[in-house]
Amino acid sequence: MPEADGRTGDSPLTSQAGPGMAAAPTHSSALRISHISKTFPGTRALDDVSFDIAPGQIHALLGGNGSGKSTLIKILAGVYRGDPGGTFVIGDREIPSDKTAPELARAAGLRFVHQNPAVFPALSVAENIAIGTGFEKMGGSTINWKALRRRTSALLERYDIKASPHTLMRSLRPAERAMVAIARALQDQDEDEKGVLVLDEPTASLPRAEVVRLMLALARYARDGQTILFISHRLDEVIEAADQATVLRDGRYAGTVVGDEITEPNLISLIVGRALDRVFPDMPEVTSTEVALEVRHASGGPLRDVSFQLRKGEVLGIAGLLGSGRSELLKMIFGAYQMRGGEIVLQGTRQHFHHIGEAMRAGVAYVPEDRPGEAAFGDMSVSENFSAALVSRYWSGGRLHHGRADADARQSIKDFFVRTGNERQPLNTLSGGNQQKVILARWLKRQPKILLLDEPTQGVDVNARAEIYSIVSDAVAAGCSVLLVTSDFEELSRVSDRVIVLSQGRITGELHAPDIDPIRLTELAFSTQEAAV
Amino acid sequence: MTVTDATGAETALGSGGSETEGGNQRVMILVEKYALVGLFVVMMLFFTFWSKTSHTFPTRANIKNVLGNQAVIGILAMAIIIPLVCGEFDFSVGSVAGLSQVLCAGFMSRLGAPWPVAVGLAILIGAAIGLSNGNTVARVGVNSLIVTLGIATVLVGVVEWYTKGLSIINRISPSLVHLGTGDWLGIPRTVYYLALVAALVYYMLEHTPYGRYLHSIGSNSDAARLVGLRVERLVLISFVLSGALAGLAGVMLVARNGGASPQLGTVSDTLQALSAAFLGATAIKPGRFNVLGTIVAIFFLAFSVTGLSLAGVANWINDVFNGAALFVAVLISTIIGRRRAGVA
Repeated sequence: MPEADGRTGDSPLTSQAGPGMAAAPTHSSALRISHISKTFPGTRALDDVSFDIAPGQIHALLGGNGSGKSTLIKILAGVYRGDPGGTFVIGDREIPSDKTAPELARAAGLRFVHQNPAVFPALSVAENIAIGTGFEKMGGSTINWKALRRRTSALLERYDIKASPHTLMRSLRPAERAMVAIARALQDQDEDEKGVLVLDEPTASLPRAEVVRLMLALARYARDGQTILFISHRLDEVIEAADQATVLRDGRYAGTVVGDEITEPNLISLIVGRALDRVFPDMPEVTSTEVALEVRHASGGPLRDVSFQLRKGEVLGIAGLLGSGRSELLKMIFGAYQMRGGEIVLQGTRQHFHHIGEAMRAGVAYVPEDRPGEAAFGDMSVSENFSAALVSRYWSGGRLHHGRADADARQSIKDFFVRTGNERQPLNTLSGGNQQKVILARWLKRQPKILLLDEPTQGVDVNARAEIYSIVSDAVAAGCSVLLVTSDFEELSRVSDRVIVLSQGRITGELHAPDIDPIRLTELAFSTQEAAV
Repeated sequence: MTVTDATGAETALGSGGSETEGGNQRVMILVEKYALVGLFVVMMLFFTFWSKTSHTFPTRANIKNVLGNQAVIGILAMAIIIPLVCGEFDFSVGSVAGLSQVLCAGFMSRLGAPWPVAVGLAILIGAAIGLSNGNTVARVGVNSLIVTLGIATVLVGVVEWYTKGLSIINRISPSLVHLGTGDWLGIPRTVYYLALVAALVYYMLEHTPYGRYLHSIGSNSDAARLVGLRVERLVLISFVLSGALAGLAGVMLVARNGGASPQLGTVSDTLQALSAAFLGATAIKPGRFNVLGTIVAIFFLAFSVTGLSLAGVANWINDVFNGAALFVAVLISTIIGRRRAGVA
């Protein structure tokens, strides 16, 4: 078990020295990250992060949401600039943390493949390869297809991709597609002086079998001397493929584990860390035995035979990874996702919603995960966003009473702690946390019986998070039942009365307060076997 | 995976700022709202006092003429902004007006239909084309620009076939022509019709739930669906309304001209209406398609072009001016939109 805290100011590698810790000699690092910080107005996204990546190794970077791993990669890629004071050392080049730029990263030999790499499914492999670096030309501006095919064939061979240059991208398997994106990123790399390949969650949208293929390919590239830094959420693939794994937590370096030390308990303890000192309100005790919602044998999309009950005034958490079916489950209850089998029973009545309006009338409310895409009317006013789900309340005598809606909005701004200039401001001038409060209020104003919350606090600072939960707590006290999805298992364990674990579309475990433990939840969510609880 | 590590990036957009900043912002908003109105006034004063136009422009006859002629374009612009509010283009309004025009005249001239029947049928056919457009866009999910552009082209052909390229002027009901020509209280009757339609569309878009729903769909259709709106149905209805209004515009052409000409009611009318709608979205309620802004824009464009032609500028200026206005309007709307979204 590694020392789980690297919060001291000195070099984490020395403070972390212990069995299995990377004692990497400084001169042989492929990439040395030292003292990187990043301050956004109001938050410290990264706080003095340092670690080394050894050449020719697969180095995994892990951390929960908000741990700062994406921020770190964005600074490295030159998308953001870091706070001054830190440095990146790549080979023999040194880049100050506040001077990063895409061209510099490229010149230093860093190559990035992002989460959803820009591959063009309708184009051929050769065209996809050429789009990175330009097409071969003959004379004027005519494309030399022959030369391009030759180059592509060589690349496909070098990276061992089973495809031919003229294959259409969309007919490749997902793992192969990711490999083409990697080959494209690496194509102009010097054979003798290999840089660092950075993969941002390359497996996020891949099925399990494809992940294995991709990991095998990465291991081959590493054996050929390629240094790889990859960001991941999946512990199994990290354990399988990584030579070293560094964990960030709350913007700080939490530790690095090496080789055999990369085990599930070690990683989880680094990811979860010590108990957070955030304050979550105590949710009111569940006193009612009345069942508000029952889901019976629900199937559809990734979900397989999901059954559970939600009591009146209960907060039921759903622990699951992305792709576990957690969002689909909420949408299904809301009538926004096709249900293939099973049934939903609300207050003892079987329901089959044909459209969302029916679910709303039955007292169901849904706060989606993707706020900008599925909840916010960004260019409309705060007031219009508050009333979006009950416009008809302001319709009487043949007109919409804008004045009354605005007056209600002013009251809601106070009731729901929304910080905004006035109710007429467009919603997207507000911070993420305040937008989220507006959207939560939009639904609570309907006094729902069932509140479905999908990642209600993502991208929200600690204060807003506390406010959001105090708002939810009030609703629960008034008899509302909550189904809560969040990737933050710490949060889940503190807020929920009960948590069910969803893994690959099935319920694989259930924990009851006060025995809901975030570490246990993480283990359950990551494990695929059914856990006997 | 939605990664939101950069928690703070969004908080940077928070409200606040110093007091003078707020004051400047308020002034900027006022300027934004009334810039087009101001420009309109300046333009009117300019042509009134410019020596080349001062004896022809500020005359009763000229002003009446412009007002009367623009009523049809005005109604087309009202037709076009209804789907625009929910984010869809109806590029067929001009051609629907053209078809409705020749059919309305043809029903009277060839079939001897009484004028109310001819008018009713023409508007109904406009609505039916809207229904077909709306169905293809909302239910099948084809891009509205393509659908309506295709239909517009088809209709041009249908009009040509129906009229064989000739105007229809016989047996047009004098009662209908009476309604379309002449004045009430010194103002052309068509202006009253435009005012009535504009008032109804304004009421619908700003003071009914349906209008709010259209705005919501235009802002974020996925979110609109997830607050319980039946997006497909609402979008479809917007096309039906647009088609019916375009049909009405065609009828007004017959009433005003005493007949139908295959040269009237074309894609160029659609473009004028579209220019006005986009230019209008930079005024009164900047960033939103709105009725008042659109009306101001129509008369701004019409009086500018008339002033220029009275000054003896060549005819092609008309097209250049309308096109340039559309370009500038879309440019300004986009910049405003980006600033609102906090991109700029």
